[in-house]
Amino acid sequence: MDAAAEALLRQTVRRIPSSKLNGVLGRWGCLSEAQLGSLESMQPKWLLCDNLISLCRENDLSMKHVAEVEMLYCIENPKRGMWYAYQMVETDDEAQSLELMHFRERFKAHLKDLIGHVSIKLKRHQDESVWIRIAWGDNFNRPNHLKPTYVMHHLQTPYVFVSGLTNKHKPLLFQALVLAAGYSSIKNAHLNGRCITALRDLLMRQYKQVFPSSCPKPLKESNPLPNPNIENEHAKLVEHKQRAAAEAFGYEDPPKLERATYKLETKYREHGNESLNGRDEPFRGVVKFTSSNLLESLKYCITSGMASTPLTPLLSSITQKGRNYFVIRDKGPSIASDTLGPDH
Amino acid sequence: MEAQKSATMTPRTNVASGRRSLGFEKTNLRYTPGQLTALRIPTSRRKPNTRNDIDPEQLAYIANIEWKLSYVTPLYKFRHTQLVLYSKQLSAFIVAEKQKGIAVEVGPEMGFKVVFSVVLGMTETDEDAETVFIKICSKPAFAVEGSAVKVVWSGWFTCVNGNLDYMRSLPSDFVSLPLFCTNGPESITALVKSWFTRMFDCYFGPLSLNSSILQWLGALWTECHPASNIRYLKLAWNLPTLPPLDISYTVHPQDAWNLWSSIRQNDSMEDGISIEEVRRFMKGLESHFFRHFRMHLSAGMLTRICTSLGSAHCDGTIKITGTQYITPVLMLLTECAQLKMPI
Amino acid sequence: MEEARAFLKEGVLRHLSMLEEESVLLATRQKEALQQQTRVEELRSKLEKLRAQRDQLRAKVKTTVSLQQLTSVVDQENVEPQEESREESLQLFQLKARLTQVKDLLRAHHLIGGYDVVETRRGKGVCFSLATAFEGRYLETYNLEVDLARTIRICRHNVPPFIPLEKLAQQNLQEDIKAFLVTLSQHLNAFAGRQEQVRLVKELLQGSVLVMETNSLYSIVVLMCTVPGQKETEVLLTLEYGDPTQYLPTRVTFESEDKTLLESPQWKESQSLLQQTPVHTALLAWKKERRIC
Repeated sequence: MDAAAEALLRQTVRRIPSSKLNGVLGRWGCLSEAQLGSLESMQPKWLLCDNLISLCRENDLSMKHVAEVEMLYCIENPKRGMWYAYQMVETDDEAQSLELMHFRERFKAHLKDLIGHVSIKLKRHQDESVWIRIAWGDNFNRPNHLKPTYVMHHLQTPYVFVSGLTNKHKPLLFQALVLAAGYSSIKNAHLNGRCITALRDLLMRQYKQVFPSSCPKPLKESNPLPNPNIENEHAKLVEHKQRAAAEAFGYEDPPKLERATYKLETKYREHGNESLNGRDEPFRGVVKFTSSNLLESLKYCITSGMASTPLTPLLSSITQKGRNYFVIRDKGPSIASDTLGPDH
Repeated sequence: MEAQKSATMTPRTNVASGRRSLGFEKTNLRYTPGQLTALRIPTSRRKPNTRNDIDPEQLAYIANIEWKLSYVTPLYKFRHTQLVLYSKQLSAFIVAEKQKGIAVEVGPEMGFKVVFSVVLGMTETDEDAETVFIKICSKPAFAVEGSAVKVVWSGWFTCVNGNLDYMRSLPSDFVSLPLFCTNGPESITALVKSWFTRMFDCYFGPLSLNSSILQWLGALWTECHPASNIRYLKLAWNLPTLPPLDISYTVHPQDAWNLWSSIRQNDSMEDGISIEEVRRFMKGLESHFFRHFRMHLSAGMLTRICTSLGSAHCDGTIKITGTQYITPVLMLLTECAQLKMPI
Repeated sequence: MEEARAFLKEGVLRHLSMLEEESVLLATRQKEALQQQTRVEELRSKLEKLRAQRDQLRAKVKTTVSLQQLTSVVDQENVEPQEESREESLQLFQLKARLTQVKDLLRAHHLIGGYDVVETRRGKGVCFSLATAFEGRYLETYNLEVDLARTIRICRHNVPPFIPLEKLAQQNLQEDIKAFLVTLSQHLNAFAGRQEQVRLVKELLQGSVLVMETNSLYSIVVLMCTVPGQKETEVLLTLEYGDPTQYLPTRVTFESEDKTLLESPQWKESQSLLQQTPVHTALLAWKKERRIC
């Protein structure tokens, strides 16, 4: 147990809430039953941490083991800053039948070829996702375990989710990933957020979607209007709006995104402003939508009438394309204003 | 400095003469129930022009700090010549309150110092009272000579281009400094307010900025763009959805100015900005937004306006970065504060 | 005079202004309440009027509709209008009949397990729903919303990401949408079938066969079973599904420490058996024969 391992262990224990700590240490499997029992209900946390470190010394554990407990907690609680989605492109047929063992070996070999001092851990979670933890070092420094990069990937899919990656290490990671998974390149999927399951559900289309159907099931009334008379008169309209909202952004709990950004590079085209309408240059601006649950807020906009239906493709593109960053340009010089759409 | 202070005379508000304010050209008269005076909501305002006659050192105290705004009713028997005395009295008051057990965040076992001063030249008409600046600094119990003192709280009273009719209607011995800006712990703000309330028989209230004021500020700052790059024009709205939705729209400065000047072209008012122009400017931005997102921003509330010259939030906070354009901003805020005056 | 000053100091002015403010507020409130009352009454009478108007309109619509129905029946019965319009209406009837026929066909197709089609966005798009089934049991339904405005474009779907939807779309979405749907349906059905087989193995052979590894496409399934005898031997079955449109494996391999066991003709035979029968059925039969524990 060196100083670096101790620092990582302290940081990890600090992050884990007391209620979850014993469970995590139990699953870790590096301490005996008796040792775990001695730590149980030990308060305050720093005291527990000191004892835990001495137990680790007793068991002769090293950085390798400490990194494991950090990874264990991260996989179960992946709430550590922003996650960014990337998409690998141009697959060979091999990618369709890639096995974990094969992927693991290839990834480790490729990354170690590219950079000498690096510590890689690879694990499969219960939901079939593959998690990679990378601590980066360089020629002069040992891997920094306090700021690891995390990668989540489902084999047989082109999507990769990354957090804690610096620009310096980006090309190294991407090259190793692409080679190991059997693709030819990787591109930014323009989707980010704090909730990795939301990003995954959006891209892998695993959230509850509503499709038009010849025998539509009635949607559950989510927020009935207070006045029964008004409700009667408007029931059809409300149902229509709720259906439109659900078709655009998903039923019940939509994936939890925090923001969407649109870079507008379209021309200014409003009635009664001839001097600006004649210009060839676009009217530049950036629009940002932020909410603790963006898609839920947008659904509310539709059902409450704050947004007009039919919904603009700009907003429905968030779910249809699985992106939350768009650059909007006019499609062509002669096309009417309502056909502008997000570019690729 | 001391000589300067004593030379500053508190203006008598019932002086009959005075320059005519250029800021109010067309006005809507709205009689308040009291019928004592008429409060005016202007439909046009003067274009911002640069000022450099204010002491830059004193301006530095005001710039780049986020101020919480309050309005205050006229101060009874406030004298600009008594500032040294006020410093001592307020200091003694805070000590007394502290002894009563009220938590004051000046720091544990630390001495502190209250300094009143005048910011000269922050006026528009002869009848505007000079701005009063209050600073509360902490000094460690065992202060080393020359060690820097830390400003723990600051605040200032100001009146820029106050409503002449209103000020003239006040009885003598009242000084109108309707805008009060503070920065620092709330507990100190409350103490200072309570001291002023007792000493000068005045009343403080919170000053929030409605969307119309924020829109004026947006237009004022955009107007400055050719002279001083505003770098961006950012507007923020809040929509009452569940959960609440924040929308921000950051416009490229040149494009914002192009839109503004295209609206200005059609109008011939040379040194004034009309409310109609401000309204059309905002509508122009909102409809460009609507064309893309088909969302009604009017369902929500404009919460914030920012440019590199300053930012203002609807809950009544303001930050001024471009000090050369400080006067038009303060004129606007003085006007807001005066609208709150009980008559 | 001095007294008055003292009063002023104690805030009489403020008090007075507060009182004044209050009285003004009270007066305005009273006025507002009065205004509100009259407004409510106005709105009420308006509501009554609108309701009456609505009822009238409803009655009118009803009579018009029934009148139209009557006239159409009459039109159909005494067929003696001019020659020209008769031909036109005949064409119309033929088209209508054809539409009904196609719709019925579509419905029948859907009922026997084919896809269903719904028109969306006022004819600018359609939504296909493809049901999957395995051994007579309905499984997940997948949907595909397609934009028909200019070229055919998939705009929304819930097909799992490991189904090569993009590749299939490139092959024949534009030229032959029927063929596209057929291949997609094959992929989805095969995937659902493989997934269901693994689920059934887990459910029916709990405690005797262990699912060691699968991937998201279920194109590789590794199972472990135990062969009874004097010494129990563990056998690892690896099923590889090389054809993504099939629910049966293309390659089956066995691994065990007991090499002689795998050399036996019975095991050699079972290799081809597993390529012809769903894995859960085969394993259940083996269990009955006590070939595995």
